[in-house]
Amino acid sequence: MSFLHILSEISSGFGITAIVTLLGLLYAIPFALVAGVLQHFSTGISRWIVTAIIEFWRSSSAIVLLYAFYYSLPAFGIYLSGIAVASLVLGLNIGGYGSQSVRAALQALDKGQCEAGLALGLSRSAVLGLIELPQAITVMMPTFINLAIQLIKGTSLVSLLTLTDMTFRAKEISQLSYNPVPIYSALLLAYLIVCYPVTVLGRRLEKSLGKGRAGGS
Amino acid sequence: MNFDFGFALKILPRILEGLGNTLVVSVLSFVCAAMLGFLWEMLRRSHPFVRPIVQFVIDAIRSTPVLAQLYFAFYVLPYYGITLPSMFVGVFGLGFYYSGYMSEVFKAGIDAVPRGQGEAAESLGLSWLDTLVFVIAPQMLRNVAAPLGAYSVSVLKATPYLAVIAVPELLSSAFDVASDTYRYAEPMFVVGILFLGLASVAVALVGRLERRLGVVAPPH
Repeated sequence: MSFLHILSEISSGFGITAIVTLLGLLYAIPFALVAGVLQHFSTGISRWIVTAIIEFWRSSSAIVLLYAFYYSLPAFGIYLSGIAVASLVLGLNIGGYGSQSVRAALQALDKGQCEAGLALGLSRSAVLGLIELPQAITVMMPTFINLAIQLIKGTSLVSLLTLTDMTFRAKEISQLSYNPVPIYSALLLAYLIVCYPVTVLGRRLEKSLGKGRAGGS
Repeated sequence: MNFDFGFALKILPRILEGLGNTLVVSVLSFVCAAMLGFLWEMLRRSHPFVRPIVQFVIDAIRSTPVLAQLYFAFYVLPYYGITLPSMFVGVFGLGFYYSGYMSEVFKAGIDAVPRGQGEAAESLGLSWLDTLVFVIAPQMLRNVAAPLGAYSVSVLKATPYLAVIAVPELLSSAFDVASDTYRYAEPMFVVGILFLGLASVAVALVGRLERRLGVVAPPH
């Protein structure tokens, strides 16, 4: 098998990689925004509950969470497909990190912005949606891009649940071949092609905004 | 299939056998990542010609999954006749992956030390190495303590990846129990709770260290 042939075989798993990434983002972004905003504004017991939920998703190891949910949910009578479990777990894990940058960005906003909005007669929710969040999102952009890369890379874990993503395809081909070198090189190259442009974009944005910090997986 | 809490408690001691290795691997990987990350940053600053090459390597490390990197190291090295213990491959693999992130931490940490400090040391006649070790590094350490602390938790949470390359840590021992008993739900549930507990303890310890050093914790 030529290197190009191997690369095309591996890329046949890109569909699953893309689906889990997109579904994951679909869970991660709303979770990050809602949890971050709630954590910023709530007080007392409700703040404690929100923080506990965020900390659960943030403090757990993605790979352990994936196994724990995939194998334990059926024992509690909940049956979900591998793709559903993977995108939910990976999405909420990344969303947990994202919520912290939402909260930090809201905290870093100039207080006068909110006061000016209220003085103009806008409601509290209008101030949040029209003034605070748009500014916070600009600050958060580099972090969100870094987290999106974490998510794409994290989808390689679905290979362990025997979903045929790019990593699983590579393992499959390597069992037929006696030479693992081109196969795993092609696998790294495939992820590099997908993620490298986004990584560079994130770094540029980070530089131009001078802010943002990504959480490690 | 029903969840059996009694069984979950019974297998706990067997799963805990991997705990020691998880902790050892975490510490060694973290040290390896910090040293490599510092090396990347020194190389990046060494020469304008080297800079873009090192930057590409760092971005490449950050653009590929740690799982794919570990598979590469684990399957490719033996093909060339290099057989290393899986523990060694695992520690170096995790260290390599996180060094890409830590190089950025060191970059920010060194950038935050006022330029005048280095210039003053040089004009006093200190060598390049002495300036780095005695003037820049002590001030840099204070800047990097908080983000490095956050990454130490990340490294701990990444150690179960090593189960896939046969390093006998917590997740591996959960797999052992599962394949012996044909029950996956309980071992995976137990290892999930264990890691949640471990990470919470690590977060608390790092937070305490940061308060003692008087630095503000970044979101990790």
